Amino acid sequence: MIEDLIGGLGVVMQPLNLLILASAVLIGFIGGALPGISGVILVVILLPVTYTMEPTGAFMLLTAIYASSVFSGLITAILYRAPGTPEAVMTALDGYPMTQKGEAGKALGIGILSSAFGGIVGTIVLIVATPMLADIALQFSSPEFFALAVLGLTVVASLGGNLLLGLTGVCIGLLIASVGLDPLTGAARFTFGSLHLMSGINLIPVIIGLFAISEVLKRCQEGDIHLSTKSFRIRIFDWPVIREIRGTVARSSIIGTAIGILPGIGASTAAMVAYSETVRWSKDRKRFGRGAAEGVAAPESANNAAAIGALVPLFALRIPGSGTTAVILGAFIVHGLTPGPTFMTGNSDLIYAVFVGLMLVNVLILVFSKPFIAVLSRLLDVPYSALGPVIVICCIVGTYSVQNSMMDVWLMLGFGLAGFLLEKIGFPLVSIILGVVLGPIAESELRRSLAMSRGDFSIFAERPISAILLGLAVILVSATVLAPMLQRRKLRKTAAKQS
Amino acid sequence: MHFTRRTFTLTSAAFALTLAAPALAEETAFKPAKMTAFVAAGAGGGTDNFARTVQPMLEKRLGTNITIINLPSASGAMAHQRTAQSEPNGESIEFASSTFITSRAAGQNPIGLDQLTPVARMQSDVLTLVVNTEKYNTLEDFLTYAKENPGKVIIGGTHAASVDRMAFLGLNDAAGLDLAYIPYDNEGSASANLLSGNIDGMFNEISAIQGYIESGEMKPILALADERLEAYPDLPTTVENGWNLTFGNERGVFINAKTPPETIAIIEAAFQDVFNSGEYQAYAKSANLHVRPGFLGSEDYRAVLEENLAYFEKLLSLK
Repeated sequence: MIEDLIGGLGVVMQPLNLLILASAVLIGFIGGALPGISGVILVVILLPVTYTMEPTGAFMLLTAIYASSVFSGLITAILYRAPGTPEAVMTALDGYPMTQKGEAGKALGIGILSSAFGGIVGTIVLIVATPMLADIALQFSSPEFFALAVLGLTVVASLGGNLLLGLTGVCIGLLIASVGLDPLTGAARFTFGSLHLMSGINLIPVIIGLFAISEVLKRCQEGDIHLSTKSFRIRIFDWPVIREIRGTVARSSIIGTAIGILPGIGASTAAMVAYSETVRWSKDRKRFGRGAAEGVAAPESANNAAAIGALVPLFALRIPGSGTTAVILGAFIVHGLTPGPTFMTGNSDLIYAVFVGLMLVNVLILVFSKPFIAVLSRLLDVPYSALGPVIVICCIVGTYSVQNSMMDVWLMLGFGLAGFLLEKIGFPLVSIILGVVLGPIAESELRRSLAMSRGDFSIFAERPISAILLGLAVILVSATVLAPMLQRRKLRKTAAKQS
Repeated sequence: MHFTRRTFTLTSAAFALTLAAPALAEETAFKPAKMTAFVAAGAGGGTDNFARTVQPMLEKRLGTNITIINLPSASGAMAHQRTAQSEPNGESIEFASSTFITSRAAGQNPIGLDQLTPVARMQSDVLTLVVNTEKYNTLEDFLTYAKENPGKVIIGGTHAASVDRMAFLGLNDAAGLDLAYIPYDNEGSASANLLSGNIDGMFNEISAIQGYIESGEMKPILALADERLEAYPDLPTTVENGWNLTFGNERGVFINAKTPPETIAIIEAAFQDVFNSGEYQAYAKSANLHVRPGFLGSEDYRAVLEENLAYFEKLLSLK
C-alpha cells in the first residue's frame, strides 16, 4: 500500500495534475459558495469535459470538485445565513449567530479547520479500510436506515427552544416531503394534478427559501444595518479555540465517515446527526443556536468526512453513497471503468492517484480558503440595501438551475415568506429541514422493512444494529424530555418540604 | 435487417443531403443554428450518459450546436411535456428511456405516442434476473424455491413504474409465480440489498452488473431475450422457457409529433449514421451496451413501443 501511495503521489505531482487539482478546488469553492449550485451540478457540468481527458486526471478533477464544494457551502452559510449547499444547513445554525456577534472570522476559521480535518479523516479511512468498511456498510438495510433516520429526527429534542414548535416543524417537513409520487406504489400524493409537484418538492428551494430569503426579508424590515464586523481576520490555527473544539471535531469526523459510507444517506444527514450528538455531549446545551463554536465544528467536520466516506461503497461495491457519487459512477462507466469488488486491485494506479489527490485537496482547502473568503467578505462592506437584492438574485438563479424549473423558484420565494413569518414566532426553522431530509428515508425504509418481514414489526428488534439505534433514540428522547420534568418535580418537592 | 421503404427513403435522404444539399436546402431547409435536447432523466445516469456521448457526434452531422437540459422531474414527464409543447421545427429533441412508456402505462405520464414521435432507438439493454450466488446458482434452484415459498421470495428493482417492475409482473404472470417486489430509489440500493442477502433477486440491465459477475457475488440466471446472448451462452432466456418476455431497457430519441416528416427523416438518418460510427460503437462496447443490437428506425421503434405499452397496461391491470 505504501508503494502504491508513493506511486500515486508521483502521478499527482505531475504539473498538469497539480494544475487540475488546484483549479478543481477553486471551481468547487465558487460553486459551493453560490446557493443552489451544489457539487452535483458542478460535476455534471464538467462531466463532458472529462470525456476527452485521460481517466486519472478526469477522476482527480471530479473528486476534487466534489470534496471542495462540500467545504465551501459553509462560507455563505456563516456570513449571510444562505447555505451554499444542503450539507451546510446545520452550519448556519451557530455560524450565522457568530457573525452577528462579530465573530465571523472565528466561525470561518473553525469551519475551515474542521472541514479539512474531517476530509482528511475520511480520506485516511478511504485509503486504509475501503474493502472492509464496504462489507460493514452492507449490514445496513431498510430496518437499519429507518432506525438511523429516527435517531436523526430525535435531534429536534436537543435543538432547544420550544419542543412543541420543533415537533410541529418536523411534521411540516414530513408533509412537504410526502408531496409527489409515493416511492413504493407510485401513487400521486398532494400533487393537485401538477406535473411539477409529481417529483416532489426539492430540498434546495426549501433550504434557500427558509434560510437565505427569510433572512433578507428580516433585514429589510429592520432597515439597513451593517453587520457589526466590517472587516475580520480568519485565524485557522487558533490554539485556544482548537482546544475547545478538538473533541467535537474528532467525534464528528468519525460519525461523519461512518454515516457517509452508508449508501443513500449522505452528508446532510451526517451533519445533522453529528450536530445533535455534539449538543447531547455538551455540558451547556443552552449555548447552541446562539453561536457556539462546537455548533460550527460538528457539522463541518461531519459533512466533509461523509462526502469522502461516500466514495467507499462507490469504489468497493459500485454503490453510490450520494447524488454526486452517482454522477461520478456514470463518469467511470463512460471511461470504461467498472467500480466494484475487483476495481481496487485492477486499477490501483488510478485509485491511489485519486486518494493522494483527495488528501492534497484537503490541504489546498486550508491554503486557498483564506484568500478566497477575503475576496468574498469584501461584500460585507457593501450596504445591505445593495447586497440583499444580489443575494436574492443568486438564490433565484441557483434554485432555477437545479431542475430548470420556474416552479422551484416560486416555491423557494414562498418558503422565504413562510420562513420570515415563522421566525417571528420563534419557530426553529431547521426542524422543518429535518423533516424534509429524514422524513422520506424514515417513511420508505419503514415500509420496505415491513415488506421484507411481511408486516412483522419484530424485524426492528431482531436485527441488532436497528435495535441498538432505535433503543438509543428512545433513551435519548426520554432523557431530554423526562429529565427536566423529573428535575422540576424534585424541585417542587423540596420546595414543598421546606415550606 | 429487412429492406423496407423507409430505409430506402432514409438512404436516399442521406444521399440527397450529401450530394444535392444546396438544392434540397431550399425546400426542406433543416439547418438549425442551434438545437435543444431534453433528457428525461437526471444527470449521470444511463440516459444522460447516452445523450452526452451522442451530443458531439450529432452536432457534427447536423452542423449545429446542441444544448442539453436535464428534466428528471416526475419520472421524465416534464421532459416529455416540454418536447411535446416545443416548436415543431425539429430543433427540440428528447432523449428518453423505457420509463417513457412504463410511466405512461402506470398513469404517471400525460404525454403519449400521439404527441411524441419516436425518431430512433439507439440502445436495447437486456434485462436479467440477477441473484446472489450464495442463495441460488441456477434458474432451476430459484424456481423450485419460489414455487415452494409463495410470497416469500423478494425481488428488488428501481421505482414502482419501471421496466424492472414490469419484468417482475411479467415473470409472475408468465411463470405462474408469487414473487414479492420491493422498489428502491436507485439501482445501488437494490444491489446493496442483494449483495447482503436481504432480498432474493433483482432485475437489472446486463450493462450494470459486469463487475459483480466477475467477482462472483452476483449471477444472472435469466435473460429477457429471444435467443441466447452471444456473450453469455450459458444464460437461459425467457423465450426458451416458454415465457414471451423480451423487452429490455431501451433508450432512444423522441420529437414533437407535429414535426414535418422530412425533418424527422433527416434527424433519423443522422442518428443512424451516429449509431454505425466506430466512435459510437466503441462507447457502446465500453459501457456494455452492445450485447443486443440497439438501432431501430422511427416506424419500427413506434411499433415496439406500442406493443410494449399495451402489454405493460395489461400487466398493471392484472391485480
